[in-house]
Amino acid sequence: MAALSQPGAQSGAAGYFSALLAELGAYARLDFGTSVISAAPAAQELAERLPVTLELIGLGAIVALFLGGPLGILLGTERPLRAAAPLIQIVAAMPVFVASLALLWLAANVLHWPGMEHIGEPGLSALGAQSGFDSTLRTLALPVLTVGIAGAAAVQLVLRRASAEAMDEPYRRGLRLMGLSTLEINSVYLVPQLLTELCRSLGDITLALFAAAAVAEWVFAWPGAAVLFLKSVALHDWRVAALVLLVFAAIKFGADFAGELGAHALSARSAAS
Amino acid sequence: MSEIAISSVRSLPRLRVAIRGFGFAGLALIAVAVGLSDVIARAPADTAGAGPLLAPPSALFLLGTDALGRDVMSETLHGLAVTLIHAGLATTITLTAGSLFGFIAARLPWKSGAGLRWLAGILGAVPVLLLAILIVGITNRDYAAIAAGLAAAPLAFARTYDRARLLSASRHAEFARATGIEGATLMRRDLVYEFRDTFLTLFARALAAVTITLSTMSFFGFGAVPPHRDLGLIIAAARATYLEAWWVAAFPALALLLLILFARLAASLDEGERP
Repeated sequence: MAALSQPGAQSGAAGYFSALLAELGAYARLDFGTSVISAAPAAQELAERLPVTLELIGLGAIVALFLGGPLGILLGTERPLRAAAPLIQIVAAMPVFVASLALLWLAANVLHWPGMEHIGEPGLSALGAQSGFDSTLRTLALPVLTVGIAGAAAVQLVLRRASAEAMDEPYRRGLRLMGLSTLEINSVYLVPQLLTELCRSLGDITLALFAAAAVAEWVFAWPGAAVLFLKSVALHDWRVAALVLLVFAAIKFGADFAGELGAHALSARSAAS
Repeated sequence: MSEIAISSVRSLPRLRVAIRGFGFAGLALIAVAVGLSDVIARAPADTAGAGPLLAPPSALFLLGTDALGRDVMSETLHGLAVTLIHAGLATTITLTAGSLFGFIAARLPWKSGAGLRWLAGILGAVPVLLLAILIVGITNRDYAAIAAGLAAAPLAFARTYDRARLLSASRHAEFARATGIEGATLMRRDLVYEFRDTFLTLFARALAAVTITLSTMSFFGFGAVPPHRDLGLIIAAARATYLEAWWVAAFPALALLLLILFARLAASLDEGERP
């Protein structure tokens, strides 16, 4: 991709592969090249945008935990609440861009938030320009909710499966016979089990949050790395596009690794107790 | 039938089977509506001025009209047809390059399958949507369906590969190998049984995944090309007016949601599970 865009690159497969090797060598030296649009280093372009995306994903993750956590545990432990599952199936079938447009419509027509028809320009990093707490909250609410709802679907699924499995474990009956209360059993055994599963799925949840962030940034004109990627692809600025994908993949692998470490630590602690 | 397939079919509760049937019935209904779209729709695709501008739903225009006076019902039907045709092509590519190739790769010699599985894991670390957009950027928008299919393939590859590895370590495979049955014969046998038992589920799952990817790509401007607008592009065009005229986006969005919902139900996906 970036190799092909090099001026003076040799033609044919041999030329392509030698250019590709040169490109990979440059990446190994942390030289990511320059943007063909702005002529600025690709790494600098990304460094300006990535914090905005990470802020959006971080806030979305908090919403996802607050929404998806209790929902997953309740649906997994309280069998009658399974009747609410079809509703989640409908929400899960909704593409993120449809959900974001629906949220925007609700904000404009039901909550009567002003300026919704011009939504887009101010981002999280431009919050200083916002006047007052209300407008700051409104600027944040829709994109964060969009990302949060997408993440909540993933979080609730992990926790629902884990808690439903834990509820059927034979050790619960044994512990009750030993005189432990449900609260004690849940806090000592269930909670670590749920946290372990959540850690194991950290990579997948991160991926869901990134995909949702791409849509939220586009719909709400959030000046983040995902929009930078879309613009780079549209304008064939391959160095920037490749770097964005590389960083997204690295973050996903980092989340996978951290999740596995966390899961191991929690399992070891549970076994020791 | 393979042991794993037997257990998965037997373990499906009756309610789940009914829900799955409901999903397939819904998909069949959509296919019929798409097949008859040229008959049902009152105007050809992308016909501006078929009615007044932004007319709300009425007896004359059941789903209203948009900012260019296009009949929303006709546009939704045509958009659904384009979405389904593109999604069908993308699904076929995902099943071939992902599921079928994943099954074969699990039996490849010299651990080359493991190498491919590792590559699929690397590609799977990038959101499918961004991977598909990248492929469209390298090629062009006419290849959006192929891009969506290829982008969804690594995930399908990884799932089928892992399943095929389980199958190749199962008791019937060990018995077959012990009795001298060749690896290729065993693979053919497993492939036939596996796909016979799970093809519809795999198809519905891939259909749900690629429909979401394709419509989002079109919404971003990397998918369908006018005048062959799919539902994502119709919704994108409705953005300018939908806050005042909800019907221009609501009905295409509803059609898209139903298509994905039926595909999810047909695939027996768990609530919130990624297709």
